[in-house]
This record gives sequence, C-alpha cells and structure tokens, in this order.
Amino acid sequence: MSVRKSIGSVARDWRQRDVKVVLSALVIAVATVAIIALFASQLQRTLITSASSFLAGDRQLEAEHGEPIPAEWRQEARSRGLGTARMVEFSTMLSGGNRFQLVSIKAVSDAYPLRGQVEVQKTADGERQQLESGPGPGEVWVNPRLMRLLELEVGDSVEVGNLTLTVSGLLLREPDGGFNMSALAPRVMMHADDVPATGVIQEGSRVEYVNLFAGDESALEGYYQWLQPRLGPSHEWESIRDGATLSDSLERAERFLLLGGSIAVLLASVAVAVASRQYAVGQRDTVALLKTLGLPGRHIGRMYLGRLLVWGIVGTLGGLLVALPVYAFLNNLMARVLEQDVPFTVDVPALAPALATAVVSLFAFAYPPIRRLRHVPAMRVLRSQPGESDGRAWVDIAIAVVAIFGLVWLYAREVMLVLSLIGGLVALLGILALLGWVMVMSLRRVKGGGNAWRLALVGLYRHRRSTLAQIAVFAMTLMLASTLILVRSSLLADWQAQLPEQTPNHFLINIAPDAVDEVESFWGERGQELDTLYPMVRGRLTEINGEPVRQVVSKDDSVNALNRELNLTWMDEMPEDNRVVEGAWRNDQQTDGVSVEAELASELGVEVGDVLGFTVGSETIAEPITSIRTVQWESMKPNFYMAFPPGGALEGLPATWITSFYLPPSQKSALNDFTRQFPTVSLLEVDHIIERIQQIVRQVTQAIEAILALILAASLVVMAAVVSATLQDRQREGALLRTLGGRQSLLVRSTMLEFGLAGLFAGILGVMAAETAVWALQYRMFGGDFRWHWQVALPIPLISAVVLAILGRWQLRPVLQVSPMLLLRRLE
Amino acid sequence: MTDLSSRYSQPSEVILTASNLTQRVDLGRDTLTILQGVTLEIKRGESVAIVGRSGSGKTTLLGLLAGLDTPTEGEVVLEGRAISRLSEDDRAAMRARRVGFVFQSFQLLPALTALENVMLPLELADFDDPAARARELLERVGLGDRLTHTPRQLSGGEQQRVAIARAFACEPVILFADEPTGNLDNQTGQEIQDLLMALNREQGTTLVMVSHDETLAARCQRRLTIEAGHLDTGQEVSA
Ligand SMILES: Nc1ncnc2c1ncn2[C@@H]1O[C@H](COP(=O)(O)OP(=O)(O)OP(=O)(O)O)[C@@H](O)[C@H]1O
Ligand SMILES: [Mg+2]
Repeated sequence: MSVRKSIGSVARDWRQRDVKVVLSALVIAVATVAIIALFASQLQRTLITSASSFLAGDRQLEAEHGEPIPAEWRQEARSRGLGTARMVEFSTMLSGGNRFQLVSIKAVSDAYPLRGQVEVQKTADGERQQLESGPGPGEVWVNPRLMRLLELEVGDSVEVGNLTLTVSGLLLREPDGGFNMSALAPRVMMHADDVPATGVIQEGSRVEYVNLFAGDESALEGYYQWLQPRLGPSHEWESIRDGATLSDSLERAERFLLLGGSIAVLLASVAVAVASRQYAVGQRDTVALLKTLGLPGRHIGRMYLGRLLVWGIVGTLGGLLVALPVYAFLNNLMARVLEQDVPFTVDVPALAPALATAVVSLFAFAYPPIRRLRHVPAMRVLRSQPGESDGRAWVDIAIAVVAIFGLVWLYAREVMLVLSLIGGLVALLGILALLGWVMVMSLRRVKGGGNAWRLALVGLYRHRRSTLAQIAVFAMTLMLASTLILVRSSLLADWQAQLPEQTPNHFLINIAPDAVDEVESFWGERGQELDTLYPMVRGRLTEINGEPVRQVVSKDDSVNALNRELNLTWMDEMPEDNRVVEGAWRNDQQTDGVSVEAELASELGVEVGDVLGFTVGSETIAEPITSIRTVQWESMKPNFYMAFPPGGALEGLPATWITSFYLPPSQKSALNDFTRQFPTVSLLEVDHIIERIQQIVRQVTQAIEAILALILAASLVVMAAVVSATLQDRQREGALLRTLGGRQSLLVRSTMLEFGLAGLFAGILGVMAAETAVWALQYRMFGGDFRWHWQVALPIPLISAVVLAILGRWQLRPVLQVSPMLLLRRLE
Repeated sequence: MTDLSSRYSQPSEVILTASNLTQRVDLGRDTLTILQGVTLEIKRGESVAIVGRSGSGKTTLLGLLAGLDTPTEGEVVLEGRAISRLSEDDRAAMRARRVGFVFQSFQLLPALTALENVMLPLELADFDDPAARARELLERVGLGDRLTHTPRQLSGGEQQRVAIARAFACEPVILFADEPTGNLDNQTGQEIQDLLMALNREQGTTLVMVSHDETLAARCQRRLTIEAGHLDTGQEVSA
C-alpha cells in the first residue's frame, strides 16, 4: 500500500516545478562542461597540429655536426605507427648561369613535410601552389632572390657539387622556414636521395641531419622512451613546445582552456547545487506526508536515492544530447575560422568530468538535507519551531564544497589553480558574511514606504536570507566569469605586445663597418628606418675564472652555447626589453666587464664577479661579469648572450654590424636592389614566420573568445536559475502587493532596484574575489605581468546590476499582465 | 479614526452599488458566464454575507466588488466612484486606502514576519509609523508576543488573525472577506468571527463576506444568496 503510494508520488514529482528546475540544471551543467571539455581538447589538438607545421612534424630529432641519424631509428618509429621524414641541411656553392653563389641547401625525403605545406611557384608568373612534398629527384626549388641573383629561369640547370639539377620551381615558403641565424645564404631545396651524388658532404663538413616524426601523442611519447637511451650528446629532440615564441603562447592558451574548463565545472556545480538544494528543502511536506502515511525513514531515504539516481542518468543523457550538436557546430565554425580540416572527434576521457560533475553535485547537495529530514518527526517537519535554524546546513555545504573542489582538481590536476579559485571563493564568502551583517545592521532601520527606494531597501532586508544566498551565488558566478575575463585581457594584451604590428621582419647581418652609413641611407631614402645597429664579434667562451670551460661545466650538461661561436657585442644602452636581474648595468665611464644572459648564466653556473675568458680569432679577452640580464628571445630583434661596454676590450676586434627593421609587403621589391648593391650583406627574411605566428595568435585569440562566450552564457543561465528559485515567492508577493494597493510602476521600480542593488553588490564582490584569484594565478599559471585592469573590472558590477534588474523585471512579468483576481486564483 | 463618528451618523448612506454585473470568461471555443446581471447596494457600516453553493460565483463577485477585476458588463461604484472605469493604478491607490481583504487561504508572505506582513499595506499607503501601528493591531488580535514569527511558525487561526490585522491596518471603509473561517476548526472559526465583528463595530467598517458557515452568515445584518451566477433577490433577508 505505502509502496504504491510512494510510486504514485514519484509520478507526481515529475510534474513539479522544482523537479523541472533540477533536471534543467543538470542538463545545462552536463552540456556546458561537456561542450567546453570537448571543444578545449579539440582546440588543443588543432592548435598543436597547426603549430607543428613550424617543425614540419610533431617532433624533430636533430644531429648537429654529427653522423647521419641511423635508419633503424626511423624504422622503429614507423613500426610504432609514426610518420617519418628525413632532412639534410648544409651550405655549399651553387653554380648556374656562369655564376657562383653560396647557398643553404635543404635536402628532403619524399615524406617531407609531415605537417604544413611548402609553397612554390612552378613558373615565373604561375600560381602559388601549396604542396605536401618537396622537389623530386633531379630537381631543385630555389629562393626567388637567388633566381634574380643568378638570373635563372624555371627549367634552367644548376650544379651542386658534381650533380646537375633542373630548377623546377620557385621556393616561396617552407613550413619549417626556421629562424636560424647561420642560414644566411639563399635557400635551395632538393631531394635527399640526390645528396650523395653531389659529393659535397665529406668527413668534417658542417652538416645538420634532421629527422621528423608525426603521429599520435602517445605513440610519440612511447617512441621517445625507446629513443632516449640511444641519443648522443649532439642529438636534440624537439617539439613545438620547445620553440621560444610559440610555445609560450600555446602553453598559456592551454592553461586558459584548463582554467575555462575548471570554471565550467564550478559553474555547473553551482547551478545543480542551487537547484537540488531548493528541491530538497521543498520536499519537507512530501517527507512529512510520507511519514504520516507510515512509511519508515529507511524507505524514504532509499526512495529518494533511487529518484536522484534516475534524474542523474536522465539529466546526464539529456546534457550529452544537447552538447554533441553544439560541439559539432563549434567544430564546424572552428574549421571555417582556421581554414583547415577539423575532424569531428569526441574525446571520451574529456567527457568524464562532465558526467562526474553533475551527478556528484546532485547527490552532494540534494541528498544530505533529505536524509536528515527523514529522521525528523512529521510534525516538526511541517512546522518549524520559532528560532530553530538549520544548523547542519553548513556541514552539508562543507561536504559539497569539498566534493566540488575534488572535481576541479580531478579535471585540472593543478594545485595552484584549485587553490587560487578556493582562495578567491573563501575571500568572497568572508566578505559576504561581513556584508550580510552590515546589511542587517544598517537596513534594519530603513522605513518602508510608498517610495521605490525605500521599498527596495526594505525588501533587501526582509529577504535577507534568500538575498544573501542569491548574492553569494551571483558573486561566485561573477567571480568565475571575471577571472576568465581578466586573464583573457592580460593574455591578449601580452600577445599583442609581443608581436605588435610592424614587428621587425627583416634582418641585415654582416654589414661591414664602412658600409653601415650607406646601408642606413639606402633604407632611409626608401622611408624605412632601421632599428638599433649592433656590432657583432664572433667568439668562443673558453675559460671561466681562468679554468678551461670544458672542465668547469660538466660534459653531460649539453650547453648549446659552448658548442658554437657566440655573437658578442658591445652596447651603450641596454635594449628596452632586457631586464637586469643581478648586478647593475654599466655606468657611463665603465669600459670593462660583461653582461650575461640569465639562462646561459645559470646553465654555466656563473654569477656576478666571475671572470669569463673568450677567444676571438687569435685574440683572447677576459672580463668579469658585471650584470646578468634577461632577454626577450621572441622579440624578433637582435639579441645577445654577451654584451660588453663600448670602448672596452671588444671594440678593437674585427666586427660586422647587425640590425633589424620592418619592411611592409608592398616594398618587398626593394630587397632586389639592396642585394644587388650590397652583395656581401646577408639578408634574413622572417616576415613569413611572423605572419604565421600572428595568424596562430589570432586563432588562439578567437578560440579563447569562444570559450569565454560559452562561459558567459553558462553564467547567465546559472543566474537565471537562481532567480527562478524564488520566482514563485516573488510572484506571490507581487500579486499580494498589487491587491493591497501597490501601483504597478512602484512594484516594477522597487523590484528592479532591489535586484539591481543585489547585482551591484554581487558584482563588486565577484570582481574583488576574481582579482584575488587572478593575483594568485598569475605567478604559477601564466607568468605574465597582471595589472589591475579597471577598464575590465569596472563595468562588471554595473553589467551585473543591469542584468539582474532585467531578470527581476522579467520574473515580475506575469504579475503585471493580469488582474489581481486572476493572480490570486492562480496562486491558491 | 477621526471620521469614525461621521460614519455612524449616516447609517443609511450607500457606500457600494453594483449594477447589472456580468462576468464571462473566454474558454477558447465557448464562453462561460460566471455572473449574470447582478445588481445590489451596500450601505455604510453594514455587514453583508454572500452565500451560495460552491462554484456559484461568490468569489468572482467579491473580486469585482473590491475592484480586483473588471466586469465584462455592468458597473461598480464605490464611494461615488465608478471603479470599473478607473485605471489599474488608480484602482490600486483606492484599494490601498479604502479597501481591506481577508482570504480563505490567508495569503501571508512566507518570508516576512507577522509584523512585516501587517506593515506591508501601511507602507504602501505611506503611513507615518507602520511598525508601531502594526504592533498595536497585532496586540489587538492577540498576537502581541508573536511579532517576529513567520507564517510557517504560526497555526492556521493565528495566521488568519495576522491577515485580519493586516486587513484592518489602513482603517478601510470596506472590508471584503472570502470564507475567512473556511480553513479553520469550529472553535477557532468562532474566535475569528468574533474578531471580525468586533473590529467591524469598533472601526465602523463595512463588512462584505462570503461564507458557507451558517453561524457567521447569521451574525450579519443581511444575507445575499447567489445561485449559478444570479443573485437570488427573493431570498434577501434583513436582520
Ligand atoms: N478565470 C476563470 N476561468 C475559467 N473559469 C473560471 C474563472 N474564474 C472562475 N471560473 C469558474 O467560475 C465559477 C465560479 O467561480 P467562483 O470561484 O466565483 O465560485 P465560488 O462561488 O467562489 O465557489 P467556492 O465556494 O467553491 O469558492 C467556477 O465554476 C469557476 O470554475
Ligand atoms: Mg470562492
């Protein structure tokens, strides 16, 4: 009998409003987290793939002045399902049209490039083609500048060593057109199989062998495990994350996605928490009824458990049903924005947090209060005693909060992130408690009246319980959204600062001292201003404090800087973007000492005061370190490991000059005149690289905006859910106020004011808490210089006030449209 | 309470007239006629009971008389003003100052204390010291020690007493009560009746109430019977 009744009550339950709210919250929560998790994981894959074209593969194994890389290593990679390609890079003389020119050759195997495309032009005025291959055997593709220098045409023959090859195309762009200062000569691309026949490569030649790998992240990792013990000191294993400029941006973008996902998890749990808590409290009458009907507490507990389980399953499935089409749509959008194929893949492990979040918060928030309710006598459930408060609610909330942060930790696995967000939330709740107290103390004295302001303030006081709870949820939501907004703003600002418009995109190297003025005036005449010119002396670091450097620095630490000649310079003023981290930049009179780049200094284990000895040609110089400074390698300006003061030991040594400048695309043709007039000056064109980087940063930016938009939409939903939690009470109140003679306009104004004020409080609190979280996040997560962005922070409380005022107005709508009589009938 | 004596001095003055009230609701395909051609007069200070079977249209009539709704046809004139022709806001202003209500289901706001519930109409009508007046009224209905309790903590009879205190708060000239004892046991219902009658006498308020309760109807000076939307004039009884 009683069992049948309880089943009947389940059926009735489905029609209840509270149940609908819980179910919609579940669906929204699962959908939001699933969409963001899937999208973020897809985005990450896409960006990495897109960025991987910078290496022409996912990983690169380099052997500098070494032996060729053993073929077995590639064999092993292929057996693990990885794609491989082979490259050989060297410099040699090329002859064509009765002239000779030093060129930088890149010989590639058939599979090259594994990622990205080579851009070529098959005839002088033909179309640009994007190819996924290099030249065939017997062919070469050459840089357009070389074509002009040698006055070559497509179809002509050129000689590389003993081999005659046919020019079959103009090489416009290579995906891995690295930014390598030593590759100053014009680029020529040929097939790797032709290299032996040239006879150019002999014992001791400066050759770089490179193998490329591409495939599954796990397969790559597995392969590296296998490879690592076999690598020698001259081998270098690189991924796109190791490159300076991009890796930084990518890493931060990934962190942003992680943060976005974590925030989605939090928002979702807040939504479910609010809804299920409300449901649980609303079940008092039902529990009391069931108890008076004689159902034992045990049964009631089990019945609710079963019910929650069913909802959990239904809500989760519903959420997934919503998420997948939205994700497919976003995927499609992304493919169009990025202009590349984005396969529709559902990353199942990424879905786990979505599923866990909803169910865990459902049970954590709905079950404990119901469980406790079943122990309470029916009479007590129906009529709470005066002054009795639900003291155990704090325990429930504590349990739930722990559960939720457990979830976030599971999702992000980043202690700092979780701590920052918790820190922000704790600060928030602390301030909120204080605010609640202040509100009770100060608003208690406000007298209500026919005036909208007074009515609103009295309303805030009278609804303080629900209002403070709502403000807490709003503030939490706003804090999470603001955290993301603040992080986004500084990320974007950082990136824009990193590669602004007019970033230098050409380098001039090897300028003879007597040609400096002429070079400057050449570009001056064409309206191009050169950046600072730096002298450059090539030398080796040979001694530290009088001891040979090879003995001081142990051999296992492969310090790259020791294997090759360093560019030494002297400068009067430190470049703007450098920062002294130890010691002091030289004063005007000082002519001795040397300033060392920070990373190299720590690799060498040297400090201010240590004496460094250099060998330049046949000369040696020794100088104490006077300062250690950081350098922005990604700035696309000349950067130096070692900087001497002017007028010192270095200045007497043979030097050439280096500079960089911005050349707009429209002026590219001036380069031909330049190379003709200054044949000895090396020209390095990095405009394509910069364009690509800017393009990727733009893509990342768009991705971040998309995530932010999703989160903002989710926040709005949470806020609407919270408002709807008290919807019925508010409407009843509105109806009654009208019956008692409140004018509609008074009702509208006071409600909007009351909600607006709550929104303003919540906004201020949320932004303050977000600042706390961002302040904590900045060090470990993003490493940027976060400033207080008042332009970002200021509008948030205002927007929140307006949004809530509108929500308040919206919920009042049914109260205003019909006669009070009808309202009362409906509310009975 | 200054014009209290003047209310008594003109016992025969008509305060409320309804002429030919008809209420229809559109139910999509057909229309339902709830009230048909109801005409009546109520004098100042009078107590009138409206009786009739369930569904006969009592609540609808009460709502129209109180200006909570507008009739499809006909007119209600309260203190010389045709309320069905006023704007919604003017009707609201009129309700705030001149009209009180007691509902069968009490209609107290659950988030507010007893005191705050009673203060509500006083604030809307811009009374000087709503809290003091509300306290006075709650003491009058015997709830002086329950001021800070919320409706949930009060019994049904106590809630109805709060509602009565609220209804009399603005010293309305006319009070409408829709089955005020319908949800209460006999004993408590009796107490509520006594309270209503006492306040009616003390304040000289005109009382119009719907009731199934014979004893309550019998205590009113006049009884109107409604049957299927028609006022049964033949049965009108003066006490
Ligand atoms: N807005 C409406 N839409 C449809 N039907 C309505 C509406 N308002 C009232 N009715 C119907 O009109 C009839 C009269 O309703 P009313 O509430 O006035 O009856 P009553 O005499 O107060 O009944 P009770 O004694 O049960 O309270 C009922 O049948 C009711 O269902
Ligand atoms: Mg009725």
